[in-house]
Amino acid sequence: MIIREFGVRHGRKVLAAAAPLRRGQQQCLRALSTETSGTPVATADPAVEAALQTNPENPSPVPSLFARDWETAQQLRRNLMPVGTKVEHRYSPNDVFRNPPGPKDVTLELLMASQAHMGHHASVWNPANARYIFGIREGIHIISLEQTAAHLRRAARVVEEVAYHGGLILFVGTRPGQTQIVTQAARLAKACHLFTKWTPGTITNSDKILPGIPVEIVDELDRPVGPAFNQHLMDRRALVPDLVVCLNPLENFTMLRECSQANVPTIGIIDTNTEPTWVTYAIPANDDSLRCLAVIGSVLGRAGEQGQKRRMEDAKNGKVTWETPSEIKQFMEIQQKRARWSKRAAEEEAAATSGGGGPNGQSSTTPPKSSDRSYGRTPSTNRDGTPIFHADEALAELQMEVDLVNAEEDVSPQLRNTPRRGD
Amino acid sequence: MVRGPAQRQIRPARVYQTVTTLMEHRIKPRLAVQQPVWYKVVESIPPSEILTRPFPPQHKQPNPRARKASRLFQPQKLVYKEDELRKKFYTDHPWELARPRMIIEMDGKDALRCDWSKGLRQPGMLLSGECVVQRQMYLMENVPGITEDGAYDQVRKEFYKLRQEEEIERRIAQEEARMVGAYFGQTFQQVGMQLEDQQFERWKRWATREIEKIQGEQTAAYTSFDATEDPDTGDLDVDSLREDLEATANIPPVSK
Repeated sequence: MIIREFGVRHGRKVLAAAAPLRRGQQQCLRALSTETSGTPVATADPAVEAALQTNPENPSPVPSLFARDWETAQQLRRNLMPVGTKVEHRYSPNDVFRNPPGPKDVTLELLMASQAHMGHHASVWNPANARYIFGIREGIHIISLEQTAAHLRRAARVVEEVAYHGGLILFVGTRPGQTQIVTQAARLAKACHLFTKWTPGTITNSDKILPGIPVEIVDELDRPVGPAFNQHLMDRRALVPDLVVCLNPLENFTMLRECSQANVPTIGIIDTNTEPTWVTYAIPANDDSLRCLAVIGSVLGRAGEQGQKRRMEDAKNGKVTWETPSEIKQFMEIQQKRARWSKRAAEEEAAATSGGGGPNGQSSTTPPKSSDRSYGRTPSTNRDGTPIFHADEALAELQMEVDLVNAEEDVSPQLRNTPRRGD
Repeated sequence: MVRGPAQRQIRPARVYQTVTTLMEHRIKPRLAVQQPVWYKVVESIPPSEILTRPFPPQHKQPNPRARKASRLFQPQKLVYKEDELRKKFYTDHPWELARPRMIIEMDGKDALRCDWSKGLRQPGMLLSGECVVQRQMYLMENVPGITEDGAYDQVRKEFYKLRQEEEIERRIAQEEARMVGAYFGQTFQQVGMQLEDQQFERWKRWATREIEKIQGEQTAAYTSFDATEDPDTGDLDVDSLREDLEATANIPPVSK
């Protein structure tokens, strides 16, 4: 009651001081004051009285109440900000997403604070993990954080180098809550992510599972090459990632098995009950703590980011760190042969029409339409035979991404091509 | 989810060797296997050694009189000096365990911000049994000639004083708030009692209904018994009889 009356009294004063009121507002105020308290609210301030008893015949223009209230609230906030308890920044689960730590920031303290050291109950351990275990505490195995840090740095180096060599990296985390971790790591490393079920056979039976997935061919500066390779892309098989990072190997045995069959190195987070031989590079850590996974994911993502950055810098200086895939090389050789043949055919045709050996200049100016007609399968973009052969370093990229918007069937991760995301 | 025993895999760790073999020994000599992107990377950063059984970190003194090694390759229990102190404190003050406690660490360096020479109150930490244990450890290690029990007694008394201060502060804050018009609703006890009362009332309604039902059945049985056995019940006052029956539901009425 006291507080309410206090508010009314001061609200009345503020309103009166801010601008002269109209008749309706006066009534409102009076009603408000009589409702809250039986005692009459006395306005001792002569300025307030004068403002309340303004002549209603010629009301002055009044700014909107809403804006004025907002301004008052802002003023109040500015004045009251330094008053009261000083709020310190404490831990927030989103810190790791706002400012993702990189490989340089990995410390044993950080790993311990993110609960990377907690394994499973000693009875469910996998003895293959004995070398990662520090001891038993309260019945659970404690993972040695020195091992965790060492293996994490090693894995980060692998991610960075694979990104530097233009490899395709896939981050997989299919447990609930891992979506944000996986997507952030993929965004940092310009990689792909998967946070729904891995469709069995996506690698080993990709011709059936992923028929006709869109693939983009880019050059060393990650610019799309254009329509010159459209014909090649039409009968291109689905690509296989060059490195797979799995946050929960226990649930993704099928995927890891397919990766091993396709000779793809894998990085996995190995808890004390997980089989460490399923992955190439194990990171012994607690795979049940989302905080720990977020730290590890962001470290690997940052490593990939660093690798991509180095790659782009080298590409700008003219150093290309990867080879053209053999399928594209083969396609380009065939195209070169075809261009040579068409050129020769055009020359012969020109010679036949001119009735003798024509000069070189004439053959070069021959319109390519005739060659198109004679061969039929030459790419339409091959206007003068030269432009497509400039794409000597072409990289086929598969962007395996679960399309949340278009995933209507919701069964298989759709493989689609996404535009390169800029930094 | 029930899982079978984990299957060992040999291919993931040997991916480099596999691809090297593929590249070097071709069944079809003209079919060249291209070097994978990761090949040089895995060559320069090989996977770590696995499936070896190391001698685990030792956390206890070996028994000199033991005649043969036991559990040589199994991880050992981690035992710290604070464990005993903690156990003793919480045995003496079991209700301290019922207080809420912050277990999330900020960046792992939280322990470095505490200075136990200055007392039990530390920045960013609520007063709890852990403060007592840490302060006691500090005293035991830094004060010459202090025993474990002596340190415990000293810290315990500091702790009681601080808890008392907290209680008084809380009570006064409550009084002040009440004075300016705050009210705090019902306590947990009151809420619990209210819920229990509601359940009792529900049960009472249900029981009354059941009793009425049984009584009705009994009444119906006796009236029909009377109707078949004794045709001249018209002489009797049925209403008074029914009232009697209802009053003494369990006692069978004496036949006329």
